[in-house]
Amino acid sequence: MSSMEALLKDESTRNIRRLLKVVILITIAGAAVSSRLFSVIRFESIIHEFDPWFNFRASKYLIKNGFYNFWDWFDDRTWHPLGRVTGGTLYPGLMVTSGAIYHILRMLSMPVDIRNICVLLAPAFSGLTALATYLFTKEMKDESAGLLAAAFIGIAPGYISRSVAGSYDNEAIAIFLLMFTFYLWIKALKDGSAFWGALCALFYFYMVAAWGGYVFITNMIPLHAFVLVLMGRYSPRLYVAYTSWFALGTLGSMQIPFVGFLPIRSSEHMAALGVFGLLQLVGFVEFVRYQVPSRQFKTLLKALIFIVFALSSAVLVLLTVSGVIAPWSGRFYSLWDTGYAKIHIPIIASVSEHQPTAWPAFFFDLEMLIWLFPAGIYMCFSTLQDQHVFVIIYGIMASYFAGVMVRLMLTLTPVVCVSAAIALSNILDIYLSVKTPAAPAVGAPSVDERKEKKPRVNILSAGKDSIVGIYSKASRIAVVAAFSIYLFVFVLHCTWVTSNAYSSPSVVLASRLPDGSQHIIDDYREAYYWLRKNTPDDAKIMSWWDYGYQIGGMADRTTLVDNNTWNNTHIATVGKAMSSREEVAYPILRQHDVDYVLVIFGGLLGYSGDDINKFLWMIRIAEGVWPDEVKERDFFTPRGEYRVDDGATDTMKNSIMYKMSYYNYQSLFPAGQAQDRVRNAKLPAVGPTLSILDEAFTSENWIVRIYKVKDLDNLGRDHASAAAFDAGKKKSKRTKAGRGAQRKLRVV
Amino acid sequence: MRFLAPIVGLLSLASTLLPTTLADSKLSKFTSLTAGSKLKGIVRLNDALYTELTTAPRNYAAVVLLTALDKRFSCTLCQEFQPEYELLAKSWIAKHKTSDGLFFGQLDFADAKATFQRLQLTTAPILYLFPPTTGDNVDVAHIGTPYQFDFTQHGTPAEAVAHLISQHTTYAPPVSRPFDYVKFGGMAGLLLVAITIVSIAFSIIKPIIYSRNLWAAISLIAVLLFTSGHMFNHIRHVPYVVNDGRGGISYVASGFSNQFGLETQIVAIVYALLAFATISLAMKTPRIENPTRQKAVILIWNAILLVGFSFLMNLFKQKNGSYPFFLPPLF
Repeated sequence: MSSMEALLKDESTRNIRRLLKVVILITIAGAAVSSRLFSVIRFESIIHEFDPWFNFRASKYLIKNGFYNFWDWFDDRTWHPLGRVTGGTLYPGLMVTSGAIYHILRMLSMPVDIRNICVLLAPAFSGLTALATYLFTKEMKDESAGLLAAAFIGIAPGYISRSVAGSYDNEAIAIFLLMFTFYLWIKALKDGSAFWGALCALFYFYMVAAWGGYVFITNMIPLHAFVLVLMGRYSPRLYVAYTSWFALGTLGSMQIPFVGFLPIRSSEHMAALGVFGLLQLVGFVEFVRYQVPSRQFKTLLKALIFIVFALSSAVLVLLTVSGVIAPWSGRFYSLWDTGYAKIHIPIIASVSEHQPTAWPAFFFDLEMLIWLFPAGIYMCFSTLQDQHVFVIIYGIMASYFAGVMVRLMLTLTPVVCVSAAIALSNILDIYLSVKTPAAPAVGAPSVDERKEKKPRVNILSAGKDSIVGIYSKASRIAVVAAFSIYLFVFVLHCTWVTSNAYSSPSVVLASRLPDGSQHIIDDYREAYYWLRKNTPDDAKIMSWWDYGYQIGGMADRTTLVDNNTWNNTHIATVGKAMSSREEVAYPILRQHDVDYVLVIFGGLLGYSGDDINKFLWMIRIAEGVWPDEVKERDFFTPRGEYRVDDGATDTMKNSIMYKMSYYNYQSLFPAGQAQDRVRNAKLPAVGPTLSILDEAFTSENWIVRIYKVKDLDNLGRDHASAAAFDAGKKKSKRTKAGRGAQRKLRVV
Repeated sequence: MRFLAPIVGLLSLASTLLPTTLADSKLSKFTSLTAGSKLKGIVRLNDALYTELTTAPRNYAAVVLLTALDKRFSCTLCQEFQPEYELLAKSWIAKHKTSDGLFFGQLDFADAKATFQRLQLTTAPILYLFPPTTGDNVDVAHIGTPYQFDFTQHGTPAEAVAHLISQHTTYAPPVSRPFDYVKFGGMAGLLLVAITIVSIAFSIIKPIIYSRNLWAAISLIAVLLFTSGHMFNHIRHVPYVVNDGRGGISYVASGFSNQFGLETQIVAIVYALLAFATISLAMKTPRIENPTRQKAVILIWNAILLVGFSFLMNLFKQKNGSYPFFLPPLF
């Protein structure tokens, strides 16, 4: 036992301990990376989901055309016919990072395909995140807590959800940058060092370049500084750390074209500016306090601070009201006023990751950490140094945000890991200690007497007396054994969640056949490949915005709208076309040069994320722009049901989205037996007819259906009567236009 | 429909030529009625006036609220909507002293049972917008049938009605909400009182404000609330408990992304229990000086931790049927 003690504490074994630490950290990084590789092993090295496809396309562009062309990139293959100033409207950090890695590997004569770099970037950075969390937690408590926190963040599903191999998204590197910036901030604050403050600003700049969530840092650090000032903890260290971070960080962030002058013109950044001003004032007063001992003068100064602070806040409010400073952007505002987005910005409310979080999601993503988290926060209160205040504020703010939006679980996870590690490491410190205290001697002063001797002010009720230690070996073993089991279950839980929930590329779907073998459903890539091979290079594809990035990335065709969603009206136009009758939709399609329309249909397979289920959002977004022409009400039956079977409303049945989804579908079934397996509805015996569109392609499981937009009729008829004529139902009525054979677009 | 068009055209032509004088006389009549009305800007209608106001030759637009304000009918929506409607009419008449061809009428069920019966109305309130039938701004499709305001869809009624009017006619009534002096005064008074109390009793309050225990408690409660899904309840307005259809109540919602109010409170309490067990094990028990007592307390907290965590996993299993893990004693 004593040898063990010597190994852990003795000066002479410091090198061994250091080696051990490095080995543990490397192991953690290894575990973090390998648990993110499920999808690569099960499927293949493929980019996932939606946004990553754009990032991947942008990275390829960067590598092919060089940095300056990338910076000036105007993309005419999206948002047809508007185009998008892509270089100025993206966060370039991710692409530049993978581009740099690509070129470095090239230089080392290791030619690695850019796709593999993109796929494996997120797991690689998760290893770095573990390191950053270790450093951050080390500043909070000690190295053992740091190692625990690193292990937690390495495998916590809340972080894995956005960083498995293939999810090549901004968050992949942003969480590392977040934790590292916070670590540097704590370091700068502790040492009062401008060097660390400047480093913090540098990584803040990197963070701004990488992810829109940088605003979280922009507000967390000022909030921390502000609370410290309120607690009477102003110090020159705080002044130096904050001012160096703010000045350099703000200048840095303004170099990103997408951010530009926002840091001085938008409300999200005003807190940082205000606290900067406040610190100057407080600093000035503190300076004067040392020079002038007069009491009255101090009172005067206090009043001065108050007045200047109030005045400058008033000026800020005035500037905001008059419009010089932009008010909170809708996305951030909806975090505070939770009903706002649903009424005013349906496009934000329509995204599933912007929904509020139910409790099972917290447990699913964090398991035991979720109840260790409050315990850790409490322990931060017991040793309330400046850096602990940071963890407390971060914890409260992040848990609020995570409760409002599922997506922000990502920012909560690091602080939960840190806080839980503090709690657990406290327990392990006490129960793993080999020292057994001597039993109290009879006649020793009782607890109550000693309490009177040492009256301590303002301390947590749980930490009043001094620590004695644990007497019984049995209780030690019991507690340690219990927590070991919990940790073991935690690891199992994390692996299970990662394997089952977060490792599907969502481009390729997996299902189980009745005999238990895996069946891969590859409809998306089948369809995109068909587009790539069978349509002209400049064909314009209309689809709902969810699939814009994938069409651009995989099929390499021009799209009307994509996941960037910068232009609500354009999206609403697509929504209107989808939800209108054929006669109304046709002019819209023609005017936007649409050649093909792509819809996702899950009815045959029971795939619930299809367009009919998303259809209500298309209608709502379209109604927001054309309230007279598209009405959500018309798509519901008088009893308020959203139906697709016989009871569907006429508006629903006549919308081209409905028609495209169910066109020819009944031919798969015996007469009158057509069944929609997502909505469990029996479809009408007679399927919808299409006159302005031709079915061009339907994938193996009918998930992707592509239609070609018909050209104008050669005889100048409208398509409905042309179709009727072809079907032999109606005699050709020779009209004036028909005689002249003039092709013309009828706008309804 | 095609053969109807000339008829409608003829009708509107006829109505423009013949009864202009009739429409003009109605216009001046209702203008004076509005000016002389007790309710500012609103004409109180009866059966005869309603018919007169809404029948065909109209060179004005009329908004009519059919309502039932009497307590006997206990129509809460009518009561709620009434001040909004008055506000809208008042805002219009304040800007347009002579109505300028947009009238606000109100027909109470108590005054006009016959009209309600004739229109076969069984619910109230109902709000109609009658666009002009003669003049430059004829709305051919709505000569006979008025527009109806949809009470189920809109949030702030006065603005929503104004929106409806501006959409379908050439009028764009403003809604100017009067400044609420009572509320402002109340807030200012409260603020003053609060400042006074704080400044007088600062020496007493100061230790409370700077109390670590208080802030720790506030922080923990906030964290527990947020992580147990309180914001979801707040945003989605979930029910507290639900009848399970067999006479009992079910307090755990089925489905992974669904929950009830009581359910989240149970979860929050379990989280709190587990957190306190951890805190006690880490901070309180090592400070107990009596060995036997310490052993007992550690054992108890350890058992609570195990049972609580086991319960939590069990609860989670109810939400997610395929969850494979559990801890004893609850399987």
